[in-house]
Amino acid sequence: MTRRAVLTIALWLGALAACVAVILHTRFSADLSAFLPAAPDPRQRALVEQLKSGVAARTLLIGIRGGTAEQRSAASLALAERLRADASFEQVLNGDLSAFAAVGRWTLEHRYLISPAVNAQRFTAEGLHEAIDDTLSLLGTPAGVLVKPLLERDPTGEVQRIAESAATRGGPRKHDGVWVSKDGERALLMTQSRADGGDLDAQARTLAVAREAFAAVAAPGLVLELSGAPTFAVDSRAQIQGETKALALTGTLVMGGLLLLAFASLRALGAAILPVASGIVAGVAAVSLVFGGVHGMTLGFGTTLIGEAVDYAIYYLIQARGSSGGEPGWRRWLHEGWPTVRLGLLTSVCGFLALAFSGFPGLAQLGVFSIAGLIAAALTTRFVLPLALPNGTPGIGLRRHLGRWAQRLVRLMPRARHAFTALGLAAVAVLLWRHDQLWQTELSSLSPVSAEALALDEQLRDELLSGDDRTMVAVSGTDVEGTLQRVEAVTQRLDGLVQQGQLANYDAITRWLPSQAMQQRRRAALPDAAVLRARLDQATRGGSLPARRLDAFVADVQQSRTAPPILLDSLRHTALAPIAAALLVQAADGHVTALLPLVHPPARDGEAVQAAVEQALRGLDHVHVLGIGEELRRLYRHYLGEAQAQALVGAFGVVLLMAWWLRSLPRLLAVCKPLLLAVLLTMAGFALVGVPLGILHLVGLLLVVAVGSNYSLFMDWMRHQASTDEDTLASLLLANITIVLSFGLIALSQIPALSAIGRVVAPGALLALLASAAYASPSARSGVAATPV
Amino acid sequence: MRADRRRVCIVLAAGAAASPARAAFGFDELMGTLAQRRSGEARFVEQRFVSVLDQTLMYTGTLSFTAPDRLARHTLTPRPESFVVEGNQLTLQRGERVRRLALDNVPELAAMVEAMRGTLSGDGTALKRHFKPTVQGTAARWTLTLVPIEFRLLGVVRQLRIDGQRSDVRVVELQLADGDRSVMSIEPVAEKSRTP
Repeated sequence: MTRRAVLTIALWLGALAACVAVILHTRFSADLSAFLPAAPDPRQRALVEQLKSGVAARTLLIGIRGGTAEQRSAASLALAERLRADASFEQVLNGDLSAFAAVGRWTLEHRYLISPAVNAQRFTAEGLHEAIDDTLSLLGTPAGVLVKPLLERDPTGEVQRIAESAATRGGPRKHDGVWVSKDGERALLMTQSRADGGDLDAQARTLAVAREAFAAVAAPGLVLELSGAPTFAVDSRAQIQGETKALALTGTLVMGGLLLLAFASLRALGAAILPVASGIVAGVAAVSLVFGGVHGMTLGFGTTLIGEAVDYAIYYLIQARGSSGGEPGWRRWLHEGWPTVRLGLLTSVCGFLALAFSGFPGLAQLGVFSIAGLIAAALTTRFVLPLALPNGTPGIGLRRHLGRWAQRLVRLMPRARHAFTALGLAAVAVLLWRHDQLWQTELSSLSPVSAEALALDEQLRDELLSGDDRTMVAVSGTDVEGTLQRVEAVTQRLDGLVQQGQLANYDAITRWLPSQAMQQRRRAALPDAAVLRARLDQATRGGSLPARRLDAFVADVQQSRTAPPILLDSLRHTALAPIAAALLVQAADGHVTALLPLVHPPARDGEAVQAAVEQALRGLDHVHVLGIGEELRRLYRHYLGEAQAQALVGAFGVVLLMAWWLRSLPRLLAVCKPLLLAVLLTMAGFALVGVPLGILHLVGLLLVVAVGSNYSLFMDWMRHQASTDEDTLASLLLANITIVLSFGLIALSQIPALSAIGRVVAPGALLALLASAAYASPSARSGVAATPV
Repeated sequence: MRADRRRVCIVLAAGAAASPARAAFGFDELMGTLAQRRSGEARFVEQRFVSVLDQTLMYTGTLSFTAPDRLARHTLTPRPESFVVEGNQLTLQRGERVRRLALDNVPELAAMVEAMRGTLSGDGTALKRHFKPTVQGTAARWTLTLVPIEFRLLGVVRQLRIDGQRSDVRVVELQLADGDRSVMSIEPVAEKSRTP
């Protein structure tokens, strides 16, 4: 071995070791964050934050089916009791109000600081008279049971008033005191975990706790249904892990078998695996370094790299075969094959570079992964394989046959050239005809969650939240007090909408935690004992409730005048903690976002409500109205547009690169035509079967261009050399078969995101090869004729 | 936190169809008589006897019913307020303040509203969903007693006693579980009371 060889090997091993070291310290995540964009505008940031780590990410939706109604409600009560006793759950809701006793006590204690009715007017003789009359008017009605026990402490009915204005978030129907679905066939519960939504191990534990608790309390025949972000995240992590392993394994086996068949040489097989393995290791390490962590999905995509990286090895192993005139095969390959492979690599990098700048972390990771992986695979092929197998693969295997089949292909396909052109035109027509249904507009198309799981989620969500959480107002600020004051400005306007019936209700943190300024104003409205007594005497004169019975009231008011203010920190140690956490989100950087979920009036469509709210809140800064479904669609459309632009830029870069390399317009056109055809035909195929294209299909098309450019460049090279090297053709065919097979496998994946890529690349790559062969030039054809096989 | 069960005692009446008294007058016959009425208006005087208060509370105002499901109570004294149910929607107004509630979110309130609407429209099925009805008396002078079936409602409402003459509801007495009681006397507004 020469010194140079030793140095190369040492460098390669060193780089691999470094990559492995990075990987060993890598945090692998599998939450849904990869499918949420990273840097949207402020209103979208509030939404994305909420989806990522807000209460939604910690909310579990639970249904209980089967059995009798009595069994279901008994199971709901027993399950809720167990879950409430478990420290993993911050809040367990099933419609059972007894769980709110602690909130009730807290409300009673703090009523004079949080009641919206408290102001100076309320505590004048006239105000007291009115308030007491209002309270008395409930007595002697069924509602009286709520008022009576507190009559002497709270004659002005502040508790009642607070309860009235607190979101009567409709909630589901009730039967036997617990929530049931509209058809009554399901008992419903909703929980929030204490652990963060992103902590999937903790979420997996809460799911296990819920299942065990259910198994322990449920009558036979009852079925537990779990849904919500935690189940999605945990299930898709398991699925991604499982499928990534299975795909990597089957991919490796199929590829290995194929290469073994083609080369009939274990050594060649071993050599072919080197670039693939190096590529994957380098890709993972690069993503880890750039993003500080690797998403499980990226590993799933990694398996797609097997298909492309193995091509480099195949090109080398076949094309470098045999020494001639004392020159080892690898030296010849460096002149002949490598420049084309290198150009193919550069075009691929160019395409994926566009992805690396995507706003979706998942796509950006995929871009970086592919670039690093392909470069590493190509470098390994270029520098390491010549040391391992200086003359390519010694084995014969099926290679002869492959070469012959490829020759036949190159001979026959040009006859179909006109057919291809016609097909291409037809494809354009189809795309124009279907242009409005060509693209997907739902973010869910990016999600790894299955359609059935989404359907169940939709049902439970509909029952439990009845559309209420679909619109919310987000108010942001840099500190808590400032944000609370902004929220109060918003609620003042929202109250107007509620009065007009344009809004049924809303929820706001200031119901429980008014700004310090507001608390101060309310405190200032409370008169001292002597004044209050005098006014009460006047207010109750001749009434049914004499002032002498209201000592407890006077004492409570006095106590409120000196009680410590309610602070966010103190709230966190009370029964109100879950409510506060849901309505006020404090980011690590101190940035505060308050969320005000809106309750729509019945029979008013969401967009009208949103428009009315936007109108009412006009002029308030740092306030955004979010229609969640609409916002997500808009977000997705934005990123689809972005991805389309990036793909176009990438494709343009590919063309420029090839133009620079070929320096000939006719050759450039000849190279681009098959790629364009492959892309158009694939897209038209999807349009014809009615599958709209999403961002991941776009990634697949990019891969088709990247892979296909190798075919058409080699065809161009052969045409230019006026040679039809059987080995080169064999390597192209073999490379194509491996691509089609490996992406065919991926197309079968249960993860929609992965299968989308597979379903584009497998047919697209095949079409690219066929079209490349079809447009092989007349000189290539005459070459074939001159050297009959 | 149960805010939504306000103004549950409502009633009304109206109309005067002349169906002759039969020998056996039962629940079905009463419902048949009541079902003939489509709408009506009445004045009411309500007295509430509440154990913790020194005096009887007194309210006056008007009631109106429009089949199948609109029921309104407008209190005039001592202070104006209104309680209007239409379908599943309840609107409460007092002074400037308006509150709107969906009845099915407040099951006990919904049951009480059904008691009144069911009686006024002669909808026996709706009544039997939440109450055990018994009828005494004759078509000319009857008493319908409604006892809640559901345990939760029974914890609040002991029974509802409705006295009537032919198709007019004249007195509604609500007895609460804690012994408090409300008695509402109803006087149909004559000129609007008849339907063909």
